[in-house]
Amino acid sequence: MTISTQPDQQANSRIGKAIAWSDLISIAAAVFVLLIISLIVDPYLAYVATSWVIFGIVGLSLDLVWGRAGVLSLSQTAFYGLGGYAGSIAAINFSYLTGNTLIWSLPVGMLVGGVVAAFISWIIFYGRMGVLQTTILTYTFTLVLWTATVSFSTKVGKAVVGGDNGMSNIPPMILGLGDAAKQLEPNAMLVTVVLIAAILYALCKALAKSPFGLIIDCIRLDPVKAELLGYDIRRYQLILFTIAGGIAGLAGSLFAAWSNYLNPSIFNVQEALSIPIYVLVGGRGTLVGAFVGALAVGGLSFWLGGGVIGGQTTLVMGVCLILLVLFMKSGLLGGLAQLFALFRSKREAKQAPIDQTEQRVKIDFDLLDKIRLHANTNSQSVELSSVDALKSFGGVTPVNRVTQSFKKGKVRCVIGPNGAGKSSYLKALAGTYKLDAGQIKFGQRDITHADPFDRVRQGLGIKMQKAQVFDDLDVRTNLWIAAYSRDRNREEADRVSGGMLKMLGMVAQGSKPASQLSHGEQQWLDIGMVLCLSPDVMLFDEPAAGMTKDERRQLSQLIKTLSKSAAVVVVEHDMDFVRTLDADVTVLHQGEVFAQGDIEVLRKDERILDIYLGRRKHVQAH
Amino acid sequence: MFKLTNATGGYKKTTIIRDVSLSIAENEIVALLGRNGAGKTTVIKYAMGLIDAFGGSTSIDGKELPVSTAKRVKAGIGYVPQGRNVFPRLTVLENVAAAAIACGHNRKDAEERALSDFPMLKPKASVLASSLSGGQQQVLAIARALATKPRILILDEPTEGVQPSIVDEIAEVIRKLNRDKGLAVLVAEQDLDFCLSLADRAYVLDKGVIAREATKSEILSDMELQHELLGV
Amino acid sequence: MEIDYLLVVLLSSLTSASVLIIATLGLAVIFGLMGVVNLAHGEFIMFGAYTALVVTRSGVPFSIAVIVAALVTALFGAIVERVIIRRLYGRLLDTLLATWGLSLVLYQSAVLIFGSVTPGIGMPQSNVRIGDYTISSYMLFLLGVAIVLVLALYWLLTKTGYGIVARAAIQDSETASAIGIESGRINTMTFALGSGLAGFAGAILLPAVPATPGMGFAFVIKAFLTVVVAGPVTLTGTVLAGGLLGSAANIVASFWTTVAGNIVFFMLTMGLLRLYPNGITARWNRKL
Repeated sequence: MTISTQPDQQANSRIGKAIAWSDLISIAAAVFVLLIISLIVDPYLAYVATSWVIFGIVGLSLDLVWGRAGVLSLSQTAFYGLGGYAGSIAAINFSYLTGNTLIWSLPVGMLVGGVVAAFISWIIFYGRMGVLQTTILTYTFTLVLWTATVSFSTKVGKAVVGGDNGMSNIPPMILGLGDAAKQLEPNAMLVTVVLIAAILYALCKALAKSPFGLIIDCIRLDPVKAELLGYDIRRYQLILFTIAGGIAGLAGSLFAAWSNYLNPSIFNVQEALSIPIYVLVGGRGTLVGAFVGALAVGGLSFWLGGGVIGGQTTLVMGVCLILLVLFMKSGLLGGLAQLFALFRSKREAKQAPIDQTEQRVKIDFDLLDKIRLHANTNSQSVELSSVDALKSFGGVTPVNRVTQSFKKGKVRCVIGPNGAGKSSYLKALAGTYKLDAGQIKFGQRDITHADPFDRVRQGLGIKMQKAQVFDDLDVRTNLWIAAYSRDRNREEADRVSGGMLKMLGMVAQGSKPASQLSHGEQQWLDIGMVLCLSPDVMLFDEPAAGMTKDERRQLSQLIKTLSKSAAVVVVEHDMDFVRTLDADVTVLHQGEVFAQGDIEVLRKDERILDIYLGRRKHVQAH
Repeated sequence: MFKLTNATGGYKKTTIIRDVSLSIAENEIVALLGRNGAGKTTVIKYAMGLIDAFGGSTSIDGKELPVSTAKRVKAGIGYVPQGRNVFPRLTVLENVAAAAIACGHNRKDAEERALSDFPMLKPKASVLASSLSGGQQQVLAIARALATKPRILILDEPTEGVQPSIVDEIAEVIRKLNRDKGLAVLVAEQDLDFCLSLADRAYVLDKGVIAREATKSEILSDMELQHELLGV
Repeated sequence: MEIDYLLVVLLSSLTSASVLIIATLGLAVIFGLMGVVNLAHGEFIMFGAYTALVVTRSGVPFSIAVIVAALVTALFGAIVERVIIRRLYGRLLDTLLATWGLSLVLYQSAVLIFGSVTPGIGMPQSNVRIGDYTISSYMLFLLGVAIVLVLALYWLLTKTGYGIVARAAIQDSETASAIGIESGRINTMTFALGSGLAGFAGAILLPAVPATPGMGFAFVIKAFLTVVVAGPVTLTGTVLAGGLLGSAANIVASFWTTVAGNIVFFMLTMGLLRLYPNGITARWNRKL
């Protein structure tokens, strides 16, 4: 097949790059329109609308962690409130120095919001808490702040935090320095807040498109796989959470300057509730949806305000939330996008399908060599070994005192009947199962207690039994993320993932979501991702499942090639395939090593046939 | 007695089995053979109403079964799922009792019968099912299915990860139930010998369709077919 | 420090742990066993409290009002399960948001119907003397209620047919259906049981904790933290976690302030969760 490299390069250059010009232009255009509107609306509306934009910023901070990372935090209003208090205390005490208030309150609010968020997320993510525990913990954190602040009074410099009475005399938004400093009029205030929101939005958008953002996407889609690509997912989640906390804190100090007054009700349940509502209404994961939602909800209650529902906002919000969750999962923007997608898919259906008959895997030894050469293989012969490894679940012991060591040179196959503990053993080697007893060593280092990402960084690569790919990301990005993990270099990742894409024969499918690949193609993609990591030890769990005869031959050759420079362990069911690998074979049975040796010798061993084929005396007897 | 007619089904939009038809008479033990991924489990889940059915029907005595899995069980299908799926935080007896109670049978009788059918469960009667070994869990899953007083017992890979001695015991009990009580059995297996020790007849599944139907002696004499089935 | 003072502190810690356990048991069933995040749990307690209040005011003896409140709340829970929760099984965070919405609706409805302040039910106050100190006899009674309630629930879930079937359905609903259990009906019943326990809690605590529309918020935090700390061996875990957290908070509160007690409660939870992310009973081998 001949495919020009031109479109290839272009497609590559998009992955992990900062925000595109087209995005910036559309943001600028939207901001321009909003600014014009901000200048001409009625000052009272401008004043009220300022708060909607501020709520939108808090929503943005939630959408970062919820929409992008998949963690529903109910403590965004806590960071928001704490940031508001802290920023205001700074503004009250120091604004006389410069006249300007925001220059004090915004950074302090952001810092405090971020630091508190960092602390909370440290507990959550480094404790590897579940999604649910996380949400409940963040919720209780907010409510505890609410109960605690009601009776909490103190004096910080000139600022008085008066418990339930709140904190008054918070200076308004003042821009300009020294003599030029003056309080903003409502319209100017709205303009300022819109500009700040636009900058934050553009930064978040850029973050989402950066490698960091892509990794966050991967963590949302499949945290286990993200970790098996060598990413310390806890660190990424903590950083994202901290950024989101900072944004919420900044919004809090804007809010304080807007209202000139804060009290503990900022931490109450209604406040905490309204943020996910904005995000849900606008559309989760879109970032801009938070603003759409805040404006829609704010606008609606503004026009209805004073009417029938004036006093019953809580009731209406509660009902709205139930209905939203039950009937409108993807929000306003999501609904629009679905309509649009429907329209587009109709048009695309008419286009002729791409001819894929030419697509097939072709081993690119050159590429493999390059990747291998690049890998830090200063250790000539890395050895992975397990000593008396034991793992049990209740009364089942899938890994029972297994002692093995794996070196480069010859492929090692692990076989055994269904349920013999093969996959469990690989998982124990990779660290997704923690051993109950025994030891796992990588070279000289004891990695028994190392996290999976740590083992991958050391040079381990694993393909699990079920192909793990990031469904919503396209094929090229899947490979790119794996390649990027190795040395965190964009160009290098472009090069390696581009080469791997060609080797897998998937260039034409490069921009397809991985979920649309067939079972066999997903297997190849997953194998490709492991190869991109260029590990010194590779573990493959049933790599040939779902592949055609021809593909199996390719795979067999690939594995043999790999084994020359890396230790390769293959768990396999298909004995024909095992035979082609010319491998040393370990037979597992009931979690224990049952036999070991050459496949042809083992094939003649009656004992092994007995357990492997379930052959027993009673068969003939019957 | 038990019949699948043109069963077509799968998950969401993916069709995995197509036009699978099979029938099992009273007193009969039938095997469902095929390599990994041939669709054996899907056929069984179809029969249990556990996957999306795109066409075809499941019937007992010519009467089509309701969609609900629970109702199918009450209509007389006993099911032993792949991977056993005993309730981990229920005791051994509670596992059996849950099935009996759900189908409106006497709990005590069911418990006593389970222990007399499977004496190896006796010492474990009041420990949590999660602390049983794989083989013991398999036996428990069968005892549990029998507590629903089925007319046909469907087993999905009952030998997976089970030590040979227990496999023998399982085969013995199934044979006895079939002989004494006329229980019909459908067993999906990769373990050819286990199947042939029980069944007189087998359906061979390949890529989601019935590739052929064969008697025990046909399979025993056909080495080619045996090797194909085992993938050895 | 005198012995009688220590005894009083001990007893009051135990009673406040009992209050926590009584208020948490419903959630232990709904969240701990069924895995349904019911953020409206606090409002279910309030629902029970107001029901008991209304029934008592109409002249029915308090003891009967408590039973009525439990039954009415259970019925309400069954309806909520059928209308909302059922559509959201397997969608954890959505359940959480929807029940949060429900909690607000209930709260605001209570404000509309009863106003934000309601009179108590005027039970005669009686105290037990211990040395120089006194302790409310109703609080001591609650200690007994907690013990009886835990034992009754344990009996219901382990000895009765319903209990066994319900636990099976909760642990693995697909397999449960494959042995003939109709999970839908059982889930409604179990949710109703949890709701009924919440209603019972609101009612039985009425003499100690007056009914207010916002009373749920105070309970829901602690109840959730208790169940999350408890982990998979729900009932035993809840008793342990509730006892530990409730009495620790009470001791701090009696030496210092209620707010400090709350903060200690929260910090202790954070610390325990950091050590046992899946709850203190995560590695236990017990059934309930």
